[in-house]
Amino acid sequence: MTPLLPPDVGADELDDPFWDGCRRHEFLLHVCRECQRAYWPAASCIDHGWAPMQWQPSSGRGEVHTYTVFHHAYMPWLADRVPYAIAVVRLDEGPFFHTDIVGCAPSEVAIGLRVEVVFEEAGEGWVLPHFRPIATNPLTGRP
Amino acid sequence: MSSEVPEFCIAGLGVTAQGRHLGIPPRALRREALELALADAGLTRRDVDGYIGTSSEPGFEDVRHLGLSPAFAWAMSAGGATATWSIINAMGAIRAGQAQVVACTYGAAPTTRPRGSTGGRSGGYGAYGYGYPMMYGMVGAASAHALHAQRHMYRYGTTSAHLGAVAVAQRAHAALRPGTIGYGHPITLEEHQASPMIVEPFRLLDCCRDTDGGVVVIVTTTARAAALRSKAVDILGVGTGQNLRNWWTGDVYDLHDDIAPAARTAFGQAGVTVDDVDVACLYDPFTISPLMQLEAYGFCGPGEGGPFIAAGETGLGGKIPTNTGGGQLSGYYATGFTAVVEGILQMRGDGGATQVAEAEVALVSGHGGNAGVQNTWSHATLLLGAHR
Repeated sequence: MTPLLPPDVGADELDDPFWDGCRRHEFLLHVCRECQRAYWPAASCIDHGWAPMQWQPSSGRGEVHTYTVFHHAYMPWLADRVPYAIAVVRLDEGPFFHTDIVGCAPSEVAIGLRVEVVFEEAGEGWVLPHFRPIATNPLTGRP
Repeated sequence: MSSEVPEFCIAGLGVTAQGRHLGIPPRALRREALELALADAGLTRRDVDGYIGTSSEPGFEDVRHLGLSPAFAWAMSAGGATATWSIINAMGAIRAGQAQVVACTYGAAPTTRPRGSTGGRSGGYGAYGYGYPMMYGMVGAASAHALHAQRHMYRYGTTSAHLGAVAVAQRAHAALRPGTIGYGHPITLEEHQASPMIVEPFRLLDCCRDTDGGVVVIVTTTARAAALRSKAVDILGVGTGQNLRNWWTGDVYDLHDDIAPAARTAFGQAGVTVDDVDVACLYDPFTISPLMQLEAYGFCGPGEGGPFIAAGETGLGGKIPTNTGGGQLSGYYATGFTAVVEGILQMRGDGGATQVAEAEVALVSGHGGNAGVQNTWSHATLLLGAHR
C-alpha cells in the first residue's frame, strides 16, 4: 500500500489546508501576500517570512521540468506499477511539485509536456493530486 | 600556489577492508579503522582529543567502545557530504582551541544484516526515500540523480554512451586497484549498454553498490604533524555550497549541487586554479555525477562532460585523471570517504598502479544531505596537497 503523508508534508497541521483542498479538488499553493511568490508545501517566504503566507487556489497546471521512468521496483508495493513515470512539474505559478504522470504511457512523458492536476481517492479519507497531459484540440492545437 | 605553510593537515589514515557482506559489525569496523589510523600517524588513543562521527546509522557515537577520552564527541549528518564536512569541522574545532588531534570516523555495514534481525533485506542506501515524492513511488537515490541527468541529456545531448564512458573509465582504474569490487574485472561500453535499465537514464552499470567498511581520518595542525612519523597531507583549502539556493531560482535540476561557491572558497584559500589540479576525486554514486562535476569545476565547458570523458580525458593519460581508485562506482562505497581516501593516497604517492605521477594537488568533493527534497544537496570541496 502507498505510504501516505511523509513527515515533510504531514507531521503536523501546517499542511492540512492543502490536503483539505485536495478533498474539494482544489490545488492550493502557499502564497506570500507581500510579493505574490508561491510555494509548496507550507513554507516561509525567502524574503518576507511566515506572517504574510496564505493558502490560495492555483491553476493546477504546469509543465514537466524533468522526469524519470522506473523500471526497477524498489519496494514490494511498486512491483505491479513498473514501468512508471515520476516527474517534477513546474507549476504555472512557479513552484516545483513532484508527482507521477497518469493518463499516458511512461514513454510519452517528456520535458516540456503540459500537464494538469487530477485528484484521486487514496483510501482512508485521503485524496492525492496526480498530473496528466492536457488534452489538446486537434483543430487548434490548444487545450 | 600560496607560499604560506598550510595550517592544517591529515596526519593519519585508517582504511579497513571494503566490500560486500563482510560480516563485521559497524562499530568493529570503526575500531579497526581507528587503530589503523593511529598506527599510521604514530599516535595513541589518548592523543585523540576530538571525535567526529559520520556514519549514517545508529551507533555512530560509540566512543566508549573505541576506548577514546576526547574533549568533545559529536556526530554529523550531511549524507555524502559528511566526510568532507567532518574534516572542515575538525579544522574549525582546532582553530577554536577545542582540540589538537581530531578523529573523523566512519564505519558502516549496509550489506551485513545485524545479528538478531529477522526482517528481509533493508534495500540499503539505494532505496532511500527523501520526503513526499515517496507517496508517488519515487524511491531511491538513483531517481534523485536521474532528475538532473535527464535535464543534462535534454539540454546538451548527453547520451547513455557518455554515461557508459564514465563507468568504463572508472572500472579501468578499479581493475588495477586491489581491494576494490572492480579489481581484475574491466568492463566494456557494450557491457554497459547491455546492462538492465533501472531508473532512466541509469542502467545497472551506471549505479554504485553499497559496501561495508570503515575509515578514520586524523586531522591536526601542520605543526603537530611535524613531530609525527606519518606522511602528512596538506589541507590547502575547503569550501561549501548548498543547492537549496538554486531551488528558489528554479535552476536546481540544471546543476549538480551548488558547486560554484564551494569551488570559489576552496580554490581561493588554496591559491591554486583548476589548472593546478593533478587528480580529481569526485563523489560518484551514479555516472552523471563525475560528468557534471567536471563541468562545474571547470575542467571542461558546460555540456562538454560526456565527450570529454568519452575521449579518455579522465583516464591516467588524460587531462584530469578522475576517481583513480575506481570511485564509488567501481571501488567501494564508504559514502564520502571513498573520495577522501583516494585524495590522501594520491598525495602520498600511494596510488599503486593508478598513481598519478608527481601529483601535487588533489580535488576531493562530497555531496549529500538534502535540505527538503531530492537535489537540494550540500556540496563540500576539499583541496589536498602533497606535503612539501
